[in-house]
Amino acid sequence: MIDKRLLQLPGIRKIMLMLAALTLGQAFVILGQGHFLAAGIVHAWHLLPMAGLVPYILGFGLAYAGRQAITWGRSALAEHYARRAASALQTRLLAQVYALGPQAVAQEGTGNLVTMALDGVSETQNYIELILNKVLSMMIIPWVLVGYIFMQQHLAGIALLIMFPVIILFMVILGMAARDESERQYAGFQRMSNHFIDSLRGLKTLQLMGISKQYAQNVYTVSEDYRKQTMKVLRIAMLSSFAMDFFATLSIAVIAVFMGIDLLNGKLSLYPALVALILAPEYFMPIREFGSDYHATLNGKNALTAIWQLLALPVPQPATHQPELAGPLTLTASDLTFQYPDRADGIKQASFTLHEGQKVAIIGASGSGKSTLLNLIGGFLQPEGESFTLNGTRLAHLAQPAWQEHLSYIPQNPYLFANTIAANIRFYQPEASAAAVRQAASEAGLSDWLGTLPEGLATRIGEGGRGVSGGQAQRIALARTLLAKERRIWLFDEPTAHLDIETESELKATMLPLFEGRLVIFATHRLHWLNQMDWVIVLAQGQIVAQGAPAELAAHSAAYQALVAQMKGEAHVQA
Amino acid sequence: MFKHDHWVKPDLKRYRWLLFWSLTLGILTFVCAGALMFTSGYLIDFSARQPLFAAIYVPVVLTRAFGIGRPVFQYLERLTSHNWVLRVTSHMRRKLYQVLETDAAFWQEHRRTGDLLSLLADDIGHIQNLYLRAIFPTVVAGGLSLLITVGLGIFDWGFALWILLLLLVQLILIPWWGLLVEKKRKQRQKALTQQAYGDLTDATLGLSDWTITHHEQAFLQQATQAATALAASTHTSRKFQWLRDFCGDLAFGLIPAALLWWSAARFGGGQMAANWIGSFALVMFPLAMAFSNVAQGVGEWPTYQGALQHLNDLTPSERPLPAQLAAPTQVQALTLSDVHFRYNDAAPELISGVDLTMKRGEKIALLGPSGMGKTTLLQLVLGDLTATSGQVLLDGQSVLQYQSVRPQLFAVLDQSPFLFNTSVANNVRLGNETASDDEVWAALKAVQLDQLVASLPQGADTPVEEAGFAFSGGQRQRLALARILLQDAPIVLLDEPTVGLDPITEQALVATMFAVLKDKTVLWVTHHLQGVDRCDQVLFLEAGHLTLQGRPQDLLATSARYRHLYALDAGEI
Repeated sequence: MIDKRLLQLPGIRKIMLMLAALTLGQAFVILGQGHFLAAGIVHAWHLLPMAGLVPYILGFGLAYAGRQAITWGRSALAEHYARRAASALQTRLLAQVYALGPQAVAQEGTGNLVTMALDGVSETQNYIELILNKVLSMMIIPWVLVGYIFMQQHLAGIALLIMFPVIILFMVILGMAARDESERQYAGFQRMSNHFIDSLRGLKTLQLMGISKQYAQNVYTVSEDYRKQTMKVLRIAMLSSFAMDFFATLSIAVIAVFMGIDLLNGKLSLYPALVALILAPEYFMPIREFGSDYHATLNGKNALTAIWQLLALPVPQPATHQPELAGPLTLTASDLTFQYPDRADGIKQASFTLHEGQKVAIIGASGSGKSTLLNLIGGFLQPEGESFTLNGTRLAHLAQPAWQEHLSYIPQNPYLFANTIAANIRFYQPEASAAAVRQAASEAGLSDWLGTLPEGLATRIGEGGRGVSGGQAQRIALARTLLAKERRIWLFDEPTAHLDIETESELKATMLPLFEGRLVIFATHRLHWLNQMDWVIVLAQGQIVAQGAPAELAAHSAAYQALVAQMKGEAHVQA
Repeated sequence: MFKHDHWVKPDLKRYRWLLFWSLTLGILTFVCAGALMFTSGYLIDFSARQPLFAAIYVPVVLTRAFGIGRPVFQYLERLTSHNWVLRVTSHMRRKLYQVLETDAAFWQEHRRTGDLLSLLADDIGHIQNLYLRAIFPTVVAGGLSLLITVGLGIFDWGFALWILLLLLVQLILIPWWGLLVEKKRKQRQKALTQQAYGDLTDATLGLSDWTITHHEQAFLQQATQAATALAASTHTSRKFQWLRDFCGDLAFGLIPAALLWWSAARFGGGQMAANWIGSFALVMFPLAMAFSNVAQGVGEWPTYQGALQHLNDLTPSERPLPAQLAAPTQVQALTLSDVHFRYNDAAPELISGVDLTMKRGEKIALLGPSGMGKTTLLQLVLGDLTATSGQVLLDGQSVLQYQSVRPQLFAVLDQSPFLFNTSVANNVRLGNETASDDEVWAALKAVQLDQLVASLPQGADTPVEEAGFAFSGGQRQRLALARILLQDAPIVLLDEPTVGLDPITEQALVATMFAVLKDKTVLWVTHHLQGVDRCDQVLFLEAGHLTLQGRPQDLLATSARYRHLYALDAGEI
């Protein structure tokens, strides 16, 4: 009943113990509430003076108030613990995401991770609270009550005791039937519940095709089909709570009738009968409450499982002996091999040596492994074996602080967060002076654009701020890199592929002089960049098929010549 | 708020019998629950007087009946109310679709519509909850209050009014208090939720930059700031809810205590009358649930209110268009004469005097930096926008007069063609719903997808989003192109269909496009010069003006700028 893994949460045993004590107290208060009410009724039934009723009503009132107060206390205690546990889990999860790096995120999906870290964590909190409250109630309260009822009247106590497993049995059977039914229809459900959003997103296309008006009827028909299927599943799913209700209320009715008959025959006195009647609904209350929250616990359980799975993934460990990078850099890879876990592609036995001051292009058809190689060099992916040598130090991977501190990575859509332009430029160097920021912005060719903005560098960009074009985003990323002087290895992943030709031309004019003296590694499929490179690595299906100076490759390498011809459109190739 | 509502009120009238039964069953459920305790209490009190068995026969039967009635009614109530809500949802979905279909302003104001559309779909979900969690429980609790008051009123009107007062505390005072305290907080939580999602998405998207900074603490701070504030605010809400529930429960406890006192005083006169005391003392306990649901449901009102607001703000706005004409059998020329455009008087002019004539079958490439009016110009050509001055003419008739037959004249292929989550064949057939299978296959063959589609597990009937297989960017464009071939419109507008494709895929796609569209008039917006040789004219649009215009080979000979860009694109400099 209690997820074993939950017991591994720090401090949970202590809090469970405290809550169990409170719950036990509450069981007795509920007992008191029932007792005073029954005794009060018996008092009035005997036609005794009204004044004698006051202590019973007061007793009932106190017990009732005590019960509500304990409910409050239990909720507060459970929430206090669950909130802290969930928040700690969230921090651990994000720290793990940080340690795993961008490739793990890409594999998991950004949307998935965000949902896990927000919805998943709050579902987990809810789950912990439910377990701490509802399950403990179910484990303690009914047994205290049924014990008292049994002492008062054996038959009613035994009847109630028997009903408990019967209810659970029916809930399980019907719950399973409902699950089977909804699993059978799951695919259809998914399709139909996405259909509506699909229709809205495709509305423009439908309009262009001239069928948007008549499609409205389709939206309605699919939604109605969805309703009919949902109702089919609900008819079964709701049977489970029906069964619980049915047995609970029916057993109250049956107990009332049998006790009535016993009373009639003089085998029973009024107080035990009344107290059994009053406490019987309280006996069933915890299991009914648990049943109605059962689905919430399932969501929480799944969320927690997913989070634990992510936390269990191995994290790349930096080498104990960090390479010495003060002097000029030399990076060598020998037989570099990397394989994605569930895909066929990767990098196979790549060997190359790169020096500071070199401008290196990585080219290849799409899917040939350009980005993978760049990610391996950036340390965002970890290869098999120990294939890197950096300034004489052999390394298993490049997720090394000493190496990454000198890196700058500029993808097609650089990361700009919602803040001012200046704050975005200061990303690597939060304490840089205003003059240094201005200088970097001007070197990156931002001055003209900044001049047109009334607030200049203080203009807010990103969500809720000003829109930034693709070219400007690249320039902000460049300025960011220029400000951090120690970042002298620049990685670019197709930075200009989506830009229009003139913007690309202007950006290139800005970039080329900045490349001097740095190690620039540039994955691209735009041919014009090759003319300014010192070294070109040609990839095909994860393997290096040629490398060398561009002029040399153009003259001698068949692989290079074929690729360039294809890119120029000189050979006809199927997309 | 409800005065101008056109999303909730009409639906309350639709299926009103289903609604009536759903609410009635809801009330009956609690009536049975109360009556079970009432008759049981009477049965036990009465039996203790040891009357003849025949005398307790009626309460015995009633006790069993109510014991069975409660779960049966509850089950039926749940089914009926869900059925009602889902029926209404179907209507709401169709209505939302229809409103968006005609609301041209919506699509103009919101560029990134994807997220917004999901939010609107969520809003319909919120309204479902408004019915199920707020309106229904309130009506049921209200109905019960009325029944209890009338029932007690039969015995004692004065006391009945006191109990009504206590019930109104549950029904109105407590929910109202909750709303008053929580309203602002809920709104803030909504904003924080959005911010938390935004921040965290931002932070994970920028993870490669964060990784190389080695500033883990700064990353965590940035990623969790809003989430932490949200958790703190939710905690405050929870604290308030416990207080609210505690007060509500205490106030509710007064009712059975008062009933015990009152019934003892009223029925304490004789033995037979005193048998009713247990009934009255016990009847209220099962009803607590009906009242505690109200405060919770009503507490979510700010969410519902937001959803209603969004939906009610959508207003179908028909553009003023001239009298519509039938589609011409052919179009000899598309002419733009001195077209100017700005969104409103205060906005900058986006198109400043464009003149252009496209003859039948001509291919024109349109280049220019992003944000300089290319897309606006396409919208003007389509008639989605009305020129501030000047005209777009098809053989002398304004394009605005052909809006009702536009799909017969224009086809559009844009950056990310939308594929519906249905079969390949259905996606192609959107271009012409009467197309035969042979025609669909002919179109697939023309765009060179026939072999690929034939190799799919279910051929052309394979769903496009089938797990384990996804169409690549180039293949999606080809599928959309096949759709356009079936649509068979004389003028085709291509809005940067090759952005994001690698050059080899791009080359192949451009070759296919020009092969299958050779008889069409084509206006091709593109971001670089690959393939423009295939066009009859190349235009550069900058700041709303056509700054360069001519045949590609002429431009290569006469314009140094064009030569430079051309050489760059070909990798020659």
